[in-house]
This record gives sequence, C-alpha cells and structure tokens, in this order.
Amino acid sequence: MLVELAADYNILRIDWVKFTFGAIALAVVYFFVARKAVPKVMKVLDERHDAIEGGIERAKRAEAEAEEIRRQYREKLEESHREYAQELEKAKEQRTAIIAEAREEAQVEAQRIIETAKAQIEADRQQAMAQLRGEIGSLSTELATRIVGESLSDGAAQTRVVDRFLEELEQQDESAKQAEVR
Amino acid sequence: MSADVRILAAEPGCHLFGDNGCGFEAPTIGMFFPEPWFANIPGSTGIDLYLVLLLVAVGAVLLLWSWFSKKLSLVPGRRQSAGEMLVLFIRDNITRPTMGAKGDNFIPFMTGVFTLILAMNFTGLIPGMLPVNSNLAFTAMFALVIYVMTIVIGVKHQGGWGYFHNKIFPPGMPKWIYVLVTPIEILSVFLIRPVTHALRLFATMFAGSLLLAVFAYGGWYMLNLSAEPLLAAVSVAYSGAALLGYIAFFVFEIAIMLIQAFVFTLLASLYINESLESAH
Repeated sequence: MLVELAADYNILRIDWVKFTFGAIALAVVYFFVARKAVPKVMKVLDERHDAIEGGIERAKRAEAEAEEIRRQYREKLEESHREYAQELEKAKEQRTAIIAEAREEAQVEAQRIIETAKAQIEADRQQAMAQLRGEIGSLSTELATRIVGESLSDGAAQTRVVDRFLEELEQQDESAKQAEVR
Repeated sequence: MSADVRILAAEPGCHLFGDNGCGFEAPTIGMFFPEPWFANIPGSTGIDLYLVLLLVAVGAVLLLWSWFSKKLSLVPGRRQSAGEMLVLFIRDNITRPTMGAKGDNFIPFMTGVFTLILAMNFTGLIPGMLPVNSNLAFTAMFALVIYVMTIVIGVKHQGGWGYFHNKIFPPGMPKWIYVLVTPIEILSVFLIRPVTHALRLFATMFAGSLLLAVFAYGGWYMLNLSAEPLLAAVSVAYSGAALLGYIAFFVFEIAIMLIQAFVFTLLASLYINESLESAH
C-alpha cells in the first residue's frame, strides 16, 4: 500500500488547507500573544525598569543633598577656622600693643623716678654744699681767729685782710641762702 | 514505542531473525502523509493529523502565554520571571542585535512567532507524532507572512520606489558592478530568500523526524523475542543500541527544534530590519 502511494507523495507540495489553518493559527497567536500577553509582560518590565531607575534617581538626589550639606559644613568649619585664626591674630596684636604700652608707661615712670631722684640728689647736693660752705666758713673763721689771735699785733695790714675775708664769707653765705630758698 | 505506530501496525510480525522472510522496511516519506479524516477537499490532502497537532501547538502557546501574563507584579515570582526571561531573550538575542532599539516594537510579534514555531516543532517530540513544521505548507505560510511584511514595511519606510531601488541597486557601489549585483539581488532578495526561509525550517524538521523514525523502526524491527534464545538475546542487544541512538538523536532533535525556531525568527528580524533601514 505504501509503495503504490509513494508516487503521489510530494513533500514540496503546499497544501492550501494546511496553509490556511496555519495562517489562522498565526493570526490567533498574534492576537492573543503578540497583542495581549507579551505587551502586558513588557509593560511590567518597563514599570520595573522605571521603578528601579526612579530608585536610582532618588538615591542620586539624596547623595547630592548629602554632598551639599557636607560642603556647607566644610565651608562653615573653614570659616570658623579662619575666624579663630583672625581672633588669634588680633589677640596677638593686642598683646603686643599692651606690652608696648606697658613698656612705654614703665619707661615714662622710670624716667619720672629718675628725674625725681636726680632733683632730690641735686637738692641734697645743694644742701650739702651750703652746709659745707657754712662749715668751711666757720672753720676758716676759727682758723683765722686762731691765726689772728696769735699775730694780731702784726699791723693794720693783717686787719684789712681779715675784714675782706669776712666780707667775702658773708657774701658767700648770702648766695648760699638764696640757693636754698630757690 | 515511538514514531509512527499506525504504519508499524500495518506490517505485523516482520522482525529480524523472523521466519516469514520479510526484510527491514525503512520508513518512507509516507509517514509525513497521515491518512486524512476528511479527504474530499478539492486540491488538498484533507484534514489530517497535522491540523490536530497544529491545534495542540496553538493551544499550548495560548495556555503558556495566558499563564505567563496573568497576575503580573513589579516583584515577579518564578512563573512571571520565566515569561519575562523569554521576552528578554527575544529582545536581547533577536530584535536588539538585528534591529537595535527601534526593533522593540517587534518584540511581541517575534515572541509570538518564536513560541508558535517552537510549539509546532515540539509536537514531534510526542511519541508517534510529527513536528507540524515537517509539512512545507506551514513553514511557507510563515515565510510568506514575513516576506509580505518586509515589502510592506520597506515601502512604508523608504517609499515604494526607494525600497525597490535600494534593494535592486544597493547604494555605494561602482556603476559597472550593478550589471552583476542587480540580477543577484533580485534573485536573492525576492525569490531565493523567502523560499530558503521556508525550506530551512521544513527540511530540518522533516529530516529530523525521519531520522528518529529510522531508529524507532530499526529498533522495533530488530527486536525479536520469539526467535531462538541466543538470537533473541542478540536482537535485544541490537534493539538496545537502536534505542540508545534514538535517545541521543531525540536530545539532538530538541536542540535542533530550538535552534531552527530561533534561526527562523532571527532571519525574519534581519529581513524586517533591512526594510526599516535604507542602506544595508
């Protein structure tokens, strides 16, 4: 049976009934799979992609925010550092100024003390001078008296000498007194 | 127990070492022409096993995709992941490499074509059945649909004159070479291409199931338990060898069915891309 039929078998013949049913099958699959099912699956895929993309976007935004805050913080820190340095500088300046001022004051004070001391010394010296001069006067008078006492008889010349000496002494006394008053 | 039981049953008792003197009858192409149930359709072999298997394949595809596409959520389960993997496989291995991102519109169509062709191939894995695509009518239908699509899309994207002009006179060549190129292009693009597109799938399915049938027929023929004990043992050994061959080629055939479905879809995608782009 097979052998006699084999002559009719033409594998390259396209059977129109099979062709038509094949086309219907493809149409059905196209309608239900390509138009309905696969787009549904793809939609979910896209949604998930969007969700993940959105998540990444959010993470990026948060990161940027954190970066901004960090930057601000760093800026503030730098600013406070700068301010601190400025304060320190200012303090240093102030310190130098204070030290300078104090030194100046001290110098002025020292000068004043020195001046006073000098004046005091001068005054003391004057006083001592005056005193000395008075004592020298009296001593010399005494000395003179003694000399005179011994040789007053030597004549009138000696008397004149003594008188002149005494006069000079008196003048010196006057000027010493004046100096004391001054 | 496989290949065409119906034909085997027609010749009972013909075995190796048998005493009725008949030899081995290899499977013929007759196995691709199952007895029709409604034969009296003019110009046709009628309604036969192929259409039933086609129905099974379409049903399987529809079931698979309705299962894949129900209750979808952003966080997929195993079932949804499998469906998504299939879509992404089509995208990343068929449309994207051939058409790029502009081919994303074709993902659903290509997914449908791929799964339908695959299901129509896989019917051959049912014992005693044939792959639907071992009949040229179905593969020719697919190829014709793709062929018409390429022309329609080409005319739409490049203009009627532009499309045929670009196809027949591929731009960017020295003038004299068109003497050679133009006839070749006309032949290859408009005649050879759709024919090979259909024949490739048909021929691999045809040859594959024929090969499986040979192993099945051979195994069945060589098994003769009613012979003398020694010969029966030998027949069992022969038959076992045939069974091993059958199993090996069965696995091989699964791979071929997958590859051919993939190749057909890939080529369809490639052809459509040539219509989308002006120059290739």
